[in-house]
Amino acid sequence: MTHEIDRRHFLKMSSTVLAAAPAVLATGPAALAAGAAQPASDKQGAPFVSTHRMLDLPKARGPRLVIIGGGTSGLTIAKYAKKAYPKFDVVLVEKRCMYSSCFASNLWYPGIIDLEFLADHSFLDAAHNSDYIYVNATCIGLDRASRTVATNEGDIKYDFLVIAPGISYDYDKIGVHDIDTKVALRQTYPGGFICPTEHVTIHRKVRQFEGGVFIQTVPSGNYRCLPAPYERACLIASVIKHNKLKGKVVVLDANPEITIKAPGFHAAFDELYKGIIEWHPTSAVTGVDVAQRTVHTEFDSYKFDDAAIYPNIRAATLIEELGLMAPPTKSNQKEANIDIRFYNLIGDEHVYVTGDSRPMPYSKSGNTSNSEGHYVAKVLAARAQGKDITWTSPQTLCYSMVDAFPKQAIWVDTYYGYDATKDAITGFKDTKVDNTRSEANGATYLEWAHGLYRDMFKA
Amino acid sequence: MDRRSFVKTCAGTAIAAACWRGHPALAAAMADHPPARLVNADGSPLKAADVTTTEALVFAYPYRGIPCFLINLGGRAAHPTALASPEDGDYTSPAGAGPHANLVACVAICMHQLSYPTPDYSAIRYAASGSPLTDAPGLIVCCTHGSVYDPATGAARVAGPAPNALLPARLAWDAESDGLIATGCVGDKFFARFFDAYKSDLIDRFGPGGYRQPVGETAVAIPLSRYSAAVSTC
Ligand SMILES: Cc1cc2nc3c(=O)[nH]c(=O)nc-3n(C[C@H](O)[C@H](O)[C@H](O)COP(=O)(O)OP(=O)(O)OC[C@H]3O[C@@H](n4cnc5c(N)ncnc54)[C@H](O)[C@@H]3O)c2cc1C
Ligand code: FES
Repeated sequence: MTHEIDRRHFLKMSSTVLAAAPAVLATGPAALAAGAAQPASDKQGAPFVSTHRMLDLPKARGPRLVIIGGGTSGLTIAKYAKKAYPKFDVVLVEKRCMYSSCFASNLWYPGIIDLEFLADHSFLDAAHNSDYIYVNATCIGLDRASRTVATNEGDIKYDFLVIAPGISYDYDKIGVHDIDTKVALRQTYPGGFICPTEHVTIHRKVRQFEGGVFIQTVPSGNYRCLPAPYERACLIASVIKHNKLKGKVVVLDANPEITIKAPGFHAAFDELYKGIIEWHPTSAVTGVDVAQRTVHTEFDSYKFDDAAIYPNIRAATLIEELGLMAPPTKSNQKEANIDIRFYNLIGDEHVYVTGDSRPMPYSKSGNTSNSEGHYVAKVLAARAQGKDITWTSPQTLCYSMVDAFPKQAIWVDTYYGYDATKDAITGFKDTKVDNTRSEANGATYLEWAHGLYRDMFKA
Repeated sequence: MDRRSFVKTCAGTAIAAACWRGHPALAAAMADHPPARLVNADGSPLKAADVTTTEALVFAYPYRGIPCFLINLGGRAAHPTALASPEDGDYTSPAGAGPHANLVACVAICMHQLSYPTPDYSAIRYAASGSPLTDAPGLIVCCTHGSVYDPATGAARVAGPAPNALLPARLAWDAESDGLIATGCVGDKFFARFFDAYKSDLIDRFGPGGYRQPVGETAVAIPLSRYSAAVSTC
């Protein structure tokens, strides 16, 4: 009991401390120990990295719109910017040569879907169907003065540039500063929130789990897909239950309460997975001993047989490398310094940053990036024609599968408000939620994902 | 969205395809198609008097792969509404058919990201008595991402991410037999996009090219709850 009180007391204190802390964490001793040569803010104005040759592309037939990152955000913008302003000559630069979606990937672990569901979508078809060019290359540099973006395959001149590279992990924020542990965690206990190969590893872990303790961590901050770690805990637990294994999922949650759809997840934990899911609130990870398979929190240590360690997140490192980071007063996750309504870099209407690298407090989800992409496409079309545009909110509609046998889901659907007097996003608006799990919701979840794939890959 | 605000949207934000492609708004998008008499599952003619008010009936028209809803608005009237499709142009939704002019039909494919009823499942439905997505009864809801349409005003968009109305199908009523005949619809350009988006699934279900064949002289209309094994409840 006293243990509980201590925690609550700690939390009360820490909420004020944490609000002020990120700036220090981002540039302080943690970053230096991680091998960063300089504080991150010195990156602004970094020298232009270039291949000193132009990438082989047909001559632009209109204003060239280059999009970096073919994830949810980049794919949506490439298609809809071309629709909104057909004169755009759109080039999508994506470092992967095989698509596989992050959203819905949890559903693969208990076998609700197969890998084809996530990956049977071609960048080539998307580009062909919507009349743009897909380039398989990695963005490495940017010179805004000459409007040139560099990739490993050559440089490209742009009229408008959208950078949508997603997120990177921030292990320093969970107390992991030494390179050896970072690499070991990335490789052996991946978070499963960025790269398809992480999903393949976690899939293997779940299928081969024969019992014992599986740890799933939930970070603090505005991490990618708020419900996804809880959803994953439920789905692993449903496999344990289905296969009658002697095992449990220990959820180490940095937050004092489940961050979204709490009644629906609590109901699943209590009614479906009693004795299988152990949820520990206010249990931020403070370090991991990989050799001992032990996760440390402020108050306890937890041994595990297998784990998915989801560290804190930040905007993709590309944002920092290109010198586009917002000051710590505006973003404690190294997100981009953009206008919160029109997405252009402050002071540069030719460069835009979208998707999970944005600093706005939107839920970092697929539906947010997709609906935001529809709007940003209109912003670009308006800007290319010297017109104004009215801000519209993105939509975050997010399903979570809480059971696999049978598949049952809950959902939340929300928009966001904007306060012109403060020039700030004010939080959720027009929110609807269904915390009662059902098979009908489970079926709709799959259709939700199919809808996004159609929107990104079909004409 | 009515025609005036559609044109305004085009001018302001250049979103609609009619504008993107530089077409002036197209006129007379309602196209005649060979008539098809609506029949019950056993082949007997469907009577207007037998169309339920509690849910939509589903029938294919004008092609085997295009599902349409037949909706009985009950005590509500159908208001012909000026609407526009980004692909197929401007049109006015047809008046209601039947003895009480309260029967309407529309293409049952969501204009947002193309969810539609299949034999396995439907995310889109006519929520006669309301739904968690909307307080009002008698609207069409697509649970996939929460689009809401009003069948009494040509299935115009009411809420959610859909860019425009569900496309209308035109019905004629044969007073003598109390029968219903589908005679035309809006959507030839949209259908091409729909077929393209679902080509693999449609080939599996109808065989190569089968989904593009006209339905023929009759079209079977059955309640959505029987047409699809599972229907979303949002
Ligand atoms: C396990 C999991 C579950 C999720 N569940 C849901 C869910 O249920 N519902 C939901 O709405 N969302 C969910 N999401 C979140 C959703 O997938 C993301 O929020 C969304 O995809 C973000 O879009 P984005 O375009 O910003 O980033 P991404 O989709 O990550 O795309 C970024 C792209 O940029 C590319 N890139 C990065 N750097 C470079 C470079 N230098 N050069 C070229 N290309 C580069 C990357 O390869 C990648 O393709 C989930 C995510 C995960 C991982
Ligand atoms: S497909 Fe119907 S709302 Fe998205």
